[in-house]
Amino acid sequence: MLWHIVGRELFQQLNSLRFLFALLLIIFLMILNAIGHIKQYKTRQIEYRQQVSTALERLEKNSDNLYNLVMRGPGGLNKQPSKLAFCAQGSEDYLPTSVLGWSAGWSRSSPTYKVSGLWRLMYDVSPPITGTDIFPTFLKIDWILIVSIVLSFLALVFAFDAISGEVERGTLRLTLSNAVARGTVLVGKFLSILMSLGVVLLIGILMNLLLLSGTLQLNGQEWGRIVGVSVVSLIYLSVFIALGLFVSSLANRSATSLVILLLLWVIWVLLIPATFGTILSGLNQPLSTQDYKAQRSSQRKEITERYEARGVYEHVPTRVRPPTDATVLWAEFLNEERRADFRLNKEFLAARTHQIQVAREFNRISPTAIVQYAVESLAGTGFQRHLDFLKNAERYADAFNDFLIAADRADPDSLHVPFVREGMSDKPVSFESIPKFQDSVRLGDAFKGALLDVMLLLLFFVVLFATAHVSFQRKEI
Amino acid sequence: MLWTLIQREILANLMTFRFPIAVIACVILGLTITAALTDNYERRLASYNEAFQTHQEKNFSAKTYSGLTLQLDRPPNPLSLFNQGLDKRAANSVRLRRDKVPSVWEDNYFSTGFDNPFRHLLASVDIVTVFQILLSLLALVFAYDAIAGERENGTLHLMLANPVGRGLIVLSKYLSAMICLMLPVLISFLLALMLQLQSPVIDYSTADFLRIGGILLTTIVYLSAFYLIGLLISCISRRTATSLISSMFIWVVLTFIYPNASLFMVNHFIETEEKIEQADRETSQIMEGFQREKAKLRDPFAPPFLLKGHWSGGSISKDVTHIEAASELEIPTVKAYYQELEPQRLRAVEAAWVVRKQAYSETFVHRSTAARNALRLSPAGLYYLATAAYAGTDLAAMEAFFKAVRQYRQTILDYFYDKKAFSSRQWFASDKGAVRWDDLSRFSYQALGDLTEDSSRASGELLRLLLLNLVLLIVTIVVFSRQEV
Repeated sequence: MLWHIVGRELFQQLNSLRFLFALLLIIFLMILNAIGHIKQYKTRQIEYRQQVSTALERLEKNSDNLYNLVMRGPGGLNKQPSKLAFCAQGSEDYLPTSVLGWSAGWSRSSPTYKVSGLWRLMYDVSPPITGTDIFPTFLKIDWILIVSIVLSFLALVFAFDAISGEVERGTLRLTLSNAVARGTVLVGKFLSILMSLGVVLLIGILMNLLLLSGTLQLNGQEWGRIVGVSVVSLIYLSVFIALGLFVSSLANRSATSLVILLLLWVIWVLLIPATFGTILSGLNQPLSTQDYKAQRSSQRKEITERYEARGVYEHVPTRVRPPTDATVLWAEFLNEERRADFRLNKEFLAARTHQIQVAREFNRISPTAIVQYAVESLAGTGFQRHLDFLKNAERYADAFNDFLIAADRADPDSLHVPFVREGMSDKPVSFESIPKFQDSVRLGDAFKGALLDVMLLLLFFVVLFATAHVSFQRKEI
Repeated sequence: MLWTLIQREILANLMTFRFPIAVIACVILGLTITAALTDNYERRLASYNEAFQTHQEKNFSAKTYSGLTLQLDRPPNPLSLFNQGLDKRAANSVRLRRDKVPSVWEDNYFSTGFDNPFRHLLASVDIVTVFQILLSLLALVFAYDAIAGERENGTLHLMLANPVGRGLIVLSKYLSAMICLMLPVLISFLLALMLQLQSPVIDYSTADFLRIGGILLTTIVYLSAFYLIGLLISCISRRTATSLISSMFIWVVLTFIYPNASLFMVNHFIETEEKIEQADRETSQIMEGFQREKAKLRDPFAPPFLLKGHWSGGSISKDVTHIEAASELEIPTVKAYYQELEPQRLRAVEAAWVVRKQAYSETFVHRSTAARNALRLSPAGLYYLATAAYAGTDLAAMEAFFKAVRQYRQTILDYFYDKKAFSSRQWFASDKGAVRWDDLSRFSYQALGDLTEDSSRASGELLRLLLLNLVLLIVTIVVFSRQEV
C-alpha cells in the first residue's frame, strides 16, 4: 500500500513544473561549481607545491649547521588544500594557509656576546587581507550552498501543499476513505518528496563529478567522503520536508502554509546562522591584538630581567667541558623564553578560536549551520580542519625539536646542552634525516567531526517528523 | 473612485494574517541586528581610537627626515550598520613610506574590521541584507494573489462590472499594497534608528540623516519593484498556486542565484593574474634599474664608512646620533649623495606606481566594474549598490581613503622639497637636534566623505531601480487590460 502511494505521489511530483525548475536550477549551479573548482583547484595546488618546495629548499640550506636549524626552524608549514573543496569552500580564503616556524625575531648583542632567540611556531596574529578580495561580496557556489539554501528552499516548495493542497481540492478525503492509515499516507508523501529531491540532487552531483573527473583523481577514501556528504545532504533535506509536511498539515490553505514556511525558512536558514552565534560570541571578546602584543613584550622583558638578576649577561657560555654554569644558565634562559612566548601565542590563538567555537555551538540551532559544519568536516575544509592542521603543525614542531636533540646526541664533540649555541653540535645535518612536515586529512578526523552534527540533524528530523505525524493524525478533514 | 478602491484594498490587506507577520518579522529582525551591529561598531571605534592614539604618538617620533614612516588609520563608518559593504574588509591601517605608493588593491595591508580574523568565518549581516531578503519575499507574498486570487474567487468579474478602468484597478492595488508594506518598513527603520542613537558614540549629522533618508527611499523603491514583479506574475497566472510557485522561483533566482552566479562568473572569466605578474616584473625591473644607479654612487654608509660615529636605521632611513669631529669634513659628501639619490628613488617609485596603477585598472578595477554591471540586472543588486553608495561603504568610498593617503604622501614629499630636506644634515643625522615636524600638516580622514559625490553614485542606481518600476507598472497595466477575465 505504502509503495502504491509513493508511486502515485512520485509520478505527480516528477511531472510537475516545479520539478523541472528545480532540476534546471540545480544543474546550472552544479555546472558553475565544477567550472569554478577546476580553475581554483589548479591554482591552489600550484601554490601549495611552490610553498612546500621553497620551505624544503630553505630547510636544506639551513641544514649545513645544526645550530642554524635551532635558530631558524623548519620554515613555513603549509596546509594541504583539500581535493573536495568543491563540496565546501569552508571560507578558506579567510583562513591562513600556513603556520610560520621561523626564527624568533629578536636578538641581543653585547660587546662580548651575540645571541638570537630559538625558533618557534608562530600563529599569525593578523593575517593580511588579500587586495583581490576587494570586490562586491558574494557567496562561493559550493555543494553546501546548493544543498543548504537552494535545495532546502525547494524542499519547502515541494512539500508546502502536500497536505493542505489535497485538503483544498478534497482529494485527501478520497484517499483516506480507502483502508489506508494516515501514518502511511504521511510516510508515502514524505518518501516521494525525498525521492524526487534525491533525483534532482543525484543528477546534479553526477553532472558535477563528470565535469570534475577530468581534473581530479579521487581515491577510494575521497569517494567515501563524497558519499558521506550526499547522505548528510539527504538527511538535511528530510528535516525540511518534515517541516513542510508539519506546517502543511496545520494550515488549511496551501497559500498560508507556504507563507509561514517561507518566513521560517528565511529566519532558520538565512538569518540565524548569520546572526545568532555572532551576537552571542560577541559577548565574550578575546584579548585585542594590541593588548596581546603589549603582553608579549612585557613578558619577554620580565624574563630577561629575571635572568639578568641571575647574572646571565655577565658570563658568556663557552665550549668548556664539562659545561659551565653560564652555559647552562643561558640554555635555561633561551628555553624558557621560547616556551613562555609560544604559550602566550597559543593561549591567544585559543581564545580567538574559542570565540568562534562558541558561535558555532549556538549556530547549531539552525540545521543549515549543522549541515555546513558536517559537510566541511567531511570535505576536509573550514574551521575544524584548520584546527586539525594547527594540531598537526604543533605535533611536527615537537618532532622537529626531538630530532634536533637526537642529532646533537649523535655528535660526540658536543656538550649536549640544548639549546644554546656553545652547548650544541655545529656540524652539518643530513637533509634526508630531518623530519619533513606532511599535512594530511585523516579519514577518522573527518567522520568523527561530522558524527555529532549528523546525530543532531537526525534529532531535528525525528522531532519534526513526529510532530508532523501527530498533527496529521489529529487533523479534521 | 481610486480612493474607494484603495480603501477597500488596504482593508483587505490589513485583515490578512500576512500583515501582522510582516510587521513582527521586520521589527524583530531589524532590532536584533541593529543591536548586534551597534555593539560591533562601538568596539571597532574603540579599537580605532586606541590605534589612532598610539600611531599619533609614534608617527612623528622620527628624529631625521629619512626616518619618517607613518601609520594612517581609517575610522569605521557608522552607516556600515545599514550596509557594511567593504567597510570591514578593506584595509583600515596603512603604513605610509616614501618608497611605496599605497593603493586599495595592494595585499599587504591589514584590516582590523574584526580584531579576531576568524570572525570572518561567521557570516555577518546588516540591515540592508535583511531587508533585501525579507522585504522582497513579503512583497511577493502580498502580490501573488492580488489579481489571480480575485479571478479565482470571481470577484474580479464583479468589480469590472462597475465603470472602473482596468488601469485604475491595477493602480489601486499597487498603491494600497505599498501603503501596507511601507508600514513595517518605516516602523522597523525608525526603531532601528532610535536604537542606534541610544549609543553614546553614534551621532549623525544632517548629511548623515540625508544618507539614511536615501537608504530608506531606495528600500521603498526596491520593495515596490518586487511588488510589481509579483503583481505581473499574478496577472499572467490563471491560478494562485501557479502564481505563488512561479513567484518563489523568480524570487530565489533574482535575490539569490543571479547575484551570486553572476559575480562568480565575472570572477572566473576575468583573468587578473597574468597582468599582475607582468606588472610585478616591470616594477621590479624599474626598481632594479634604480638599484643599479644607486650602486654607481658611493654609499657613505657602506664599508669603508665615511662617518665615524653611532647610527641606527635600515636601508632607506638613517639616524646618526653621534659623529666624531674628524668626520665633519665628510658631511658635504653625504649630503650630496642623498641629494642625488632621493629624487632618483622617488622617480623610480613614481614610475613603478604608474605601471601598477595601469595594471590594477586593467584587472581588479575592470573586474569590479564588470561585477557592478552584472549586479545591475537584478533589483537586489541595484538595491545593494545604491545603499552601499549612500552608506559610503562601497569600493569608491574605500578608494577615496587611499586617494587621501596618496595625497598626503605627496604633501610630505612637497614638504621635503620645500625644506630642501634631501640635502640637509637632518636627512640622516640628528646629532645637531632632531627634526621638528610642527609645520607639517597632519593627516585627517572622515569616514563619511562628500555627500554629493556618494549620492550621485547612488542616484544612478536608484534611477535604474525607478525605471524598472515604471516599466513593470506599464507592462502590468497593459497585460491586465488586454486579458480575458
